[in-house]
This record gives sequence, structure tokens and C-alpha cells, in this order.
Amino acid sequence: MKHKLLPLSETMHYILLALREPLHGYAVMQKIEEISNGTVILAAGTLYGAIENLNKHGWIEPVGESGRRKVYMVTAEGKTILKKEQSRLLHILSLYEGSESNEEM
Amino acid sequence: MKKCKLFFDIEKEEQWLNEQLQKGYRCTHISGLGIYTFEKTDKRNVMRLDYQDYLSKKKRDNYKVLYEDFGWNHIKGSWPGGIHYWQKEDGEQNDIFSDRQSRNNYYKRLMGYSSGLSIVLLLFSYMLFKDSGVYATEGLWSMEGVLFWKAFLFETPFALLKLIPVCMAVFYGVSYYKAYQKYSMLKEK
Repeated sequence: MKHKLLPLSETMHYILLALREPLHGYAVMQKIEEISNGTVILAAGTLYGAIENLNKHGWIEPVGESGRRKVYMVTAEGKTILKKEQSRLLHILSLYEGSESNEEM
Repeated sequence: MKKCKLFFDIEKEEQWLNEQLQKGYRCTHISGLGIYTFEKTDKRNVMRLDYQDYLSKKKRDNYKVLYEDFGWNHIKGSWPGGIHYWQKEDGEQNDIFSDRQSRNNYYKRLMGYSSGLSIVLLLFSYMLFKDSGVYATEGLWSMEGVLFWKAFLFETPFALLKLIPVCMAVFYGVSYYKAYQKYSMLKEK
């Protein structure tokens, strides 16, 4: 059966992408705001729950501390998940292009 | 200003607190006995209630630091698990949840909390009533006349006290049902 976090939600997807570099929680939110061109602004509880969840599944891990804040980064397993999601999305994108049935779009 | 109030429904409590804040107050303290302390302020504040199960000391710190980074002030938490009260100045992001998945998980945690409390209270009530029923005096119902009324009146306050856990179980049962309704509404949409 498919993993219960797959396909990745927008929140989870952005967090994994942001954590390709080590960041603490609040910096994750700022990074996501930036890379989503201001369209995704995570709230505290959503970010907290998502980080806990991703950590529990071993897709991200704490790699150090900055003051009282934990710093996280994506794990090898998390990177594999991103690869899988990338090819899934590339396939969907390819369906948008070039198909004869949607010429009028 | 102090106000005393008792809530069994976390969303009603949140709503009531925000009504007070809209009148130009901010909450400074909440005691376990349901005493809410407010003070006048010219800034607008909002309050959000979160529920968390048991968090270890480290996780709890982590949880608090993250919310504080977002501008939330921790007014009250419960140990080992329970409701956390967060207050912040009115701004662009006034919510603690920004997607459906996390809001859903919140309702799921609430359902676990209220059903758990409800079950514990029902078990407790069962233990209270198992041997004696609501009225404990032996032979109360076979007494007659003045003696019966005296014994009955004497006993009634105790009987009512024994009914409190059952009532509380019902209230928590109702809030379980409400959280369940919200949860399934979010699922369907």
C-alpha cells in the first residue's frame, strides 16, 4: 500500500524542499514563503505538526541546535521520496503537453 | 478584571475568550479552576487554543519555541497533556493552522481527548454506583413518614454530588461528537 503521506501535500512538499539545507522551524516558514513567491505561508501549528510527522517517518532529522531551536535537514530517505514525487509530477506535466485531446485548452 | 467560567467545549471557550479580547482586553493568566484574568490594552489581540497529548520536556520546549517564533505567547498549558492557550497581537496570520490536514489532525486529537475523559468519568461513576445506587442509605425506600423524608432530604445533596461525574461524562461526550462532526465535515469537503 502507498505510504500515508503520499502523494505529498503542498505543506509537506515545500517543507522537504526547503530542508535540502539545514534550517530551524521558523526559518523553514520564511524559506517557504520565499520559494513559493508568497503563496504558501505556514502557520505555527501546521508547521509543528508537519515537522513532527516528517521526523517520525525518518524523512527529516535534527542535525543540530541554534540557541533553543532545533535545526532539521532532509534524510537520504526523504531525498528518495522527493525523487519519486519529482518523477510523478514530471509525468503529470508531460500529460499537460502535447496531447491531442486538449488542444482547445 | 477576573472572570470565572467553566467550559467543556474547547471551541466555545476559544470563542468566548476572543469575544473578551475584542472588547479591548488581553488575557494575562488562566488558572486551572477556570478563573480568567484580563487587563485593558489598546492593542488588539487574538487567542487560539491548541490541544497536545503528552509531550516530553524537550518536545514541549521545542513546541513552545516554535510558536513563540511566530509571535504567539503561551498563556497556559496543561501537564501532562491538554489544552494550550496561545495569544498574540492581531496580525496577518492569526491562525495556528494553515492547511486542512493539520486542522483535521487537531480535531482528531480533540476526539481522543474528550472520549478518553468521558470513558474515565463513566468508569469512575460505575464504581460509585456499583454497590449502592444513587442513594446510599440502607433501607431508605422502606422507611415511612417523617423518617423517610428526613433521611431522603439528608441524602439528596450527596446523591447529587455523586451524579457530577456522570454529567461531566455527558458534556465531554457532547464535545467529542462536535469534534467528530467538524472532523468529518473537513474530510468530505
